[in-house]
Amino acid sequence: MLKSLDWILLASLFGLAALGMIVLYAAVHQGDSELWQKQAMFWAIGMLVFSMLCFVPLRILGLACWPMYGAALLLLMLVPLVGDIHMGARRWLDLGVANIQPSEIMKWALIFVLASWFSSREARGKVEIMVPLLLAVIPAGLIIIQPDLGTTLVLLFAATGMVIAAGLPWRLLMISIVTGIASLPVLWHFMHDYQKQRVLTLLDPQSDPLGAGYHVIQSTIAIGSGGLAGKGFLQGTQGRLHFLPEQHTDFIFSILAEEGGFLAVVLLLSLYAVLILRVLLIGHRAHNRFASLLCIGIALIFILYITVNIGMVSGLFPVVGLPLPFISYGGSALVTMLAALGLVMRVALESKEKIPWQRPGSPLA
Amino acid sequence: MRNKKLEARQRFDVRMLLFYASVPVLLGLLLFHIMQMQWFEHDKYALQANQNRLNIVPVLPVRGEIIDAHGKGLAINRIAYRIVLIPERVEHLNATLNILAEMLVWTPAKFALIHKRIQRARRPDRPVLLDDKLQWLNVAPLAARLHHLPGVDVEAGSYRQYPYAELTSHLIGYLSLARKKDMDAGYLPTEFIGRTGVEKSFELKLHGQPGHQQEEVDARGRRVAVVKRAPPVMGDQIQLALDIDIQKAAADALGERTGAVVVMDVRTGDIIAMLSKPGYDTNRFITGLESEQWNAWLNNPERPLLNRATQAAYPPASTFKLVTALGALKNGIRLANGSAFCPGYLELADRKLHCWKHRGHGKVTLNSALIQSCDVYFYQLGDQLGMAAISDTAHELGLGEKTQIDLSPEARGIIPTHQPYMMAAFKSSHTKRKKWYRGETMITAIGQGLLTVTPLQMARLAAAIANGGKVLKPQLLAGSQAEVLHQVDIKPEQLQKIQQAMRGVVLNPHGTAHRVLSKAAWAVAGKTGTAQVVKIRRNEKKELSKDELLRRHRDHAWFMGYAPYDKPKIAIAVFVEHGGHGGSSAGPVAAAIIETMAAKQQVNISKGETP
Repeated sequence: MLKSLDWILLASLFGLAALGMIVLYAAVHQGDSELWQKQAMFWAIGMLVFSMLCFVPLRILGLACWPMYGAALLLLMLVPLVGDIHMGARRWLDLGVANIQPSEIMKWALIFVLASWFSSREARGKVEIMVPLLLAVIPAGLIIIQPDLGTTLVLLFAATGMVIAAGLPWRLLMISIVTGIASLPVLWHFMHDYQKQRVLTLLDPQSDPLGAGYHVIQSTIAIGSGGLAGKGFLQGTQGRLHFLPEQHTDFIFSILAEEGGFLAVVLLLSLYAVLILRVLLIGHRAHNRFASLLCIGIALIFILYITVNIGMVSGLFPVVGLPLPFISYGGSALVTMLAALGLVMRVALESKEKIPWQRPGSPLA
Repeated sequence: MRNKKLEARQRFDVRMLLFYASVPVLLGLLLFHIMQMQWFEHDKYALQANQNRLNIVPVLPVRGEIIDAHGKGLAINRIAYRIVLIPERVEHLNATLNILAEMLVWTPAKFALIHKRIQRARRPDRPVLLDDKLQWLNVAPLAARLHHLPGVDVEAGSYRQYPYAELTSHLIGYLSLARKKDMDAGYLPTEFIGRTGVEKSFELKLHGQPGHQQEEVDARGRRVAVVKRAPPVMGDQIQLALDIDIQKAAADALGERTGAVVVMDVRTGDIIAMLSKPGYDTNRFITGLESEQWNAWLNNPERPLLNRATQAAYPPASTFKLVTALGALKNGIRLANGSAFCPGYLELADRKLHCWKHRGHGKVTLNSALIQSCDVYFYQLGDQLGMAAISDTAHELGLGEKTQIDLSPEARGIIPTHQPYMMAAFKSSHTKRKKWYRGETMITAIGQGLLTVTPLQMARLAAAIANGGKVLKPQLLAGSQAEVLHQVDIKPEQLQKIQQAMRGVVLNPHGTAHRVLSKAAWAVAGKTGTAQVVKIRRNEKKELSKDELLRRHRDHAWFMGYAPYDKPKIAIAVFVEHGGHGGSSAGPVAAAIIETMAAKQQVNISKGETP
């Protein structure tokens, strides 16, 4: 089994773990330094989940994905009724033992059901397209009213990516892109004031330098002033003097860029590139469509998180509140992503050891 | 079936290429964007980061102290702590204020006042003063907890204090915060600037130069470290020639009366005492003077803000007879037989000029006329001398001229002349048209009429008589070089006659100052003056209607003189508004000053110091 492990995937993951813990130390060493120990614990938990999932046959996931989607949808529908409000948005559900965000579960469940749906068919017929469309649009609608623009966009982009992977005709893709752009005003209409404010501020951060634009201005200053070689470990003034907001969570990239400079940015993006390309390659090499589409979906979520997060802290996109994978502080996001990678690793194992999954006779097996 | 499967597989491979490509494309775009920021726009962002973190904060200089001749502080600096709050940096205003109120023991009234002050603050990014003049003992517990109270800061600094505020208010003056004009001249808004007195005259010397420091601040604006520091240049200390003990003795002797006292060193012109009463509390200016208090001072009929020693001019009355006498001696003018007969009045055409002593002095010489202050003698002497010579002599002795003391503004006083165009100095058309009468020369000769002089001018005149005719520049600073502005053109023996007469004023039983000064510790020479109205019969009706107005000018009391007679040391001028008779009202003040001087000298001799 060890021989079948994908060592490149693991190496890039460990690289990200090391870089993440270093940057997190820089972000929290002045204040809540116990967060660093907590994150180390989350890594341990996450790696445990990762390892365990390496032993779970994909077949079981294939069976579990529909009930999982159904449960996630149910929870999502409960949120507007009994959810807790945090910072103006109703996203959390108190299950007694823990607070959960159903939208986080839905993100993964949607990928699993789309992978399952397209495991035996291509996206080239009316039913083949309409079902996934409904599967994506219903939760997206529930999430955007929470409101959570970031997760909604990730959900929709991931679903679109999955459909493209599943062979959506280019003509339909063009039509849907045009429709998507045309529906932006509708989206704008449904957005809350604070989201509109974020978009407007993005277009001109200087218009509100102490209010909504403050975060972006300070993080761009941090990134830009880092220069090529950076200000040095623990030497970043923007972070050390608390000009950077949420510097250990969503804005942690600014700390890395300020203290490590462009060299650290190149290192981080290289690690990401290796990781994601490796996930895609594992998916490409997989012996069944479910496994392939699963890996593509996971890779899509990673690349979306990375692009949106770095884009938002460097002033390209509005601030939507997505973490930077493996770097930002936060237990549930880290453990979920490691779990997803565990599934990818399982795909790698199964394709090397030729573990059968598909029922014989399936048309696309 | 196989075909369909193959077709799907091929399509999947193509789509896969799209995903492979999207990774470097997306990450590459991000990388390009970051490179642009970190490479091409790095300078811009680096500058912004420094602007974020570096604050240039001015460091105010400590103002030079002002001490008296014996080193006693007249204007000193007290170390104190003030508490300021920057509203926009405070997270929970009410909680913060409650903590502060508890730690600093604010009364509910004070709490309400501070709360109001914060709400009225126009700019939330500017500090609001919460409490001031605190000692370290009071602020230490707060300073230790500052990091829990964002937006609150304890500042150390010094504030000006005048230990003898009421005694020295006019001489030392006061400070106030920089105004628009000062800021245009380069002062900082938090700097205090001398507005009157020595604080104003020696502002450049006392003030010092502000320094600055470059501080690293965090996002809340709290100072984290000092990066660079250019220390301020402290202001110079100034030692005055003033002796606060003499000043105090003069003030005690003057009591509650309104007036002025000047004590001057006859050799150097050093100002040993300069008092104007009533005074005012200059300490009130430092914490920000309430406009009610300012208006109260401004509208007080006793005019406490006026420095009566230099800014106010009064009729010199009989003390001016010294000028007439000097002028006569200088110009070789003497009455026939060297004497006059005083029946108590002098008839002049249709008018009758009275002597203050209605019974008359009988036969008087220059000496006895000065001693007894006979008006009739000086009516005649003045008449012979003429207005031009009187005026010239007065100017030569420094009357009608600024003394050039380093205090501004300074009154010049008025020395009238018979020249009609000179009368233009009085803006009134009534006086301008008026013809100069012979009688006016006569009443000017005894110090009445339009004449006015300042107490400082009179002290300087006394000094000039004592020191052989040297008109000195009054010196405020200790150790100044004597500066002779003018040497009066008079023979020593002529001056001696005046000196002897002034000694007679004290020594002679008929002398106007005999009673109060003959037993003084030092031998005093002097001249009294009582500013009284010269009654002119022709205008009687008109005067009666003005009686109330004139009463106010009737009773000013003067004494001017010097001591010790043999070896003159100090010249004194005492002026008491509405004081009554010069000898009995102003004389005791001079006596008190001389007693104190003599006592101090006695102490110094017993200490083995040279007097």
